[in-house]
Amino acid sequence: MRRFIGFTLALALILSLTACFGPPVDPDTVQESIQVIAMDTAMFISTYGKRSTSAAYASEDLIRDLESKLSRTEEESEVSRLNAAGGQPVEVGPELAALLTAAEKYRADTHGAFDITVAPVVSAWGFTAGAFRVPAQEELEALLEKVDGSAVQVTEDGAGGYSAALAPGQSVDLGGIAKGYAADRLVDLFREYQVPRAMAQLGGNVLAWGDRPDGTPWRVGVQDPARPDEQNAFAGILNLKNAFAVTSGGYQRYFEEGGKRYHHIIDPATGYPADSDLTSVTVVADCTYDDCMGALCDAFSTAFFIMGEKEALDGWREWQEGPPSFFDLVLITEDGRVVVTQGLAESFTLEEGSGYTLEIVS
Amino acid sequence: MRSSPKPRPNGWDALVVLVVLALAAGSALAVWGGGRTAAGPGTVVVTIGGQEVDRFPPEALLDSPRTYSGNGYTLELEYGLRGGGDPPLNHQAPSLEAGVQVAWADCPTRDCVRTGLITQRGQSIVCLPAGAIIRLTGTGAEDFGGVDAVVG
Repeated sequence: MRRFIGFTLALALILSLTACFGPPVDPDTVQESIQVIAMDTAMFISTYGKRSTSAAYASEDLIRDLESKLSRTEEESEVSRLNAAGGQPVEVGPELAALLTAAEKYRADTHGAFDITVAPVVSAWGFTAGAFRVPAQEELEALLEKVDGSAVQVTEDGAGGYSAALAPGQSVDLGGIAKGYAADRLVDLFREYQVPRAMAQLGGNVLAWGDRPDGTPWRVGVQDPARPDEQNAFAGILNLKNAFAVTSGGYQRYFEEGGKRYHHIIDPATGYPADSDLTSVTVVADCTYDDCMGALCDAFSTAFFIMGEKEALDGWREWQEGPPSFFDLVLITEDGRVVVTQGLAESFTLEEGSGYTLEIVS
Repeated sequence: MRSSPKPRPNGWDALVVLVVLALAAGSALAVWGGGRTAAGPGTVVVTIGGQEVDRFPPEALLDSPRTYSGNGYTLELEYGLRGGGDPPLNHQAPSLEAGVQVAWADCPTRDCVRTGLITQRGQSIVCLPAGAIIRLTGTGAEDFGGVDAVVG
């Protein structure tokens, strides 16, 4: 009888230890979702898998860390200190040093259409503080004299440290590449935490990691720029797996004055909101084997919107060395076409009833 | 020498065994039993500054709109029907697609008002100046019939 009792209690003890290991995690079940307001936008991240909870909260920590370093509205950020230095060198971390260097390359690649030193012009229009106004031409001309990304200096001190300096009167804003860079860092994090699938919406940017729980690609709607205030108003659907997509369009942020609409994508050449033949540019990159080139995609989406259809496609072709493409484009034109580059021909579906015609280009 | 009497199990011992077994089975069931507590379809979740401040079904707004404030800005959330129309009486099922929308806000950009009506799980209204996010959520059979995200 004692043996029976002893056996029973031992069995009960073993059963009670099951709580220590947790239930088997179904990788097809959403494990954790978080939402973060950071980098001047709302972000929603859903992660799946056994370590999804820790991955999701690590994602939030990563985003907040980047914001603390890169935001020009955070007083103590590295960017704010750089902007306040009056042209004097400032010690910066390796991340900001790398991003400043990359930003200069993107400026050169886009012939100046992307330029982080356009920040004071953007502020003059009120898009930074939300106090919208139309600056006088003289004011814009004076500010444009300071727009020159090639004047940003980044120096390595030989001991692993970096310093950066702007030209006097300059300031920079990394908002045009920060979210793309955040997507690259999230990919590293998802790999580290072995997250099998995740969906990260970083404002209007989307990181589609892995595939949907049913094994099909993630379905990402491309907002119809003609109906920006309507939910579920799409120009088309992208079917993505391990990919990053970023869109730029004037409809995203604007104000109206005197019956005219002024949007936030300022052309560094004119100081005015860009006025090309495009209403929306989406850049899509594959993240399967490396990072997503998120910062590049982010910069190019802005630049191509400013440059217009022909120059955007010329720019895309310059970057192609054969399939698979480094990145692909979805351009929505003012005359009602959706122009999709060849690499997305199988992944993009035009939305029925959107009123657009589809054009595949190579 | 007399040996000490051998203890014999009695009814109390059996009761102890049963209680231990029940506790073990209960803890195993709680851990391995599976299933998730359903939050209910189409629940409105309001967060201000990263903290959840309210959670309710959209129909709760039929009684009265709700106002929220953050960073000195205020917005009012109301019930809405796709295409307009009067709200259903007595909390009857609406004949049109129903959801929530921001009726007014005193922030500079009023992007939250421009967002319009949200009716499906996963959709959200954001007011950056107030640090507010209004999101429709729901667990269980997630609706993957539509898109998973929107770019742009």
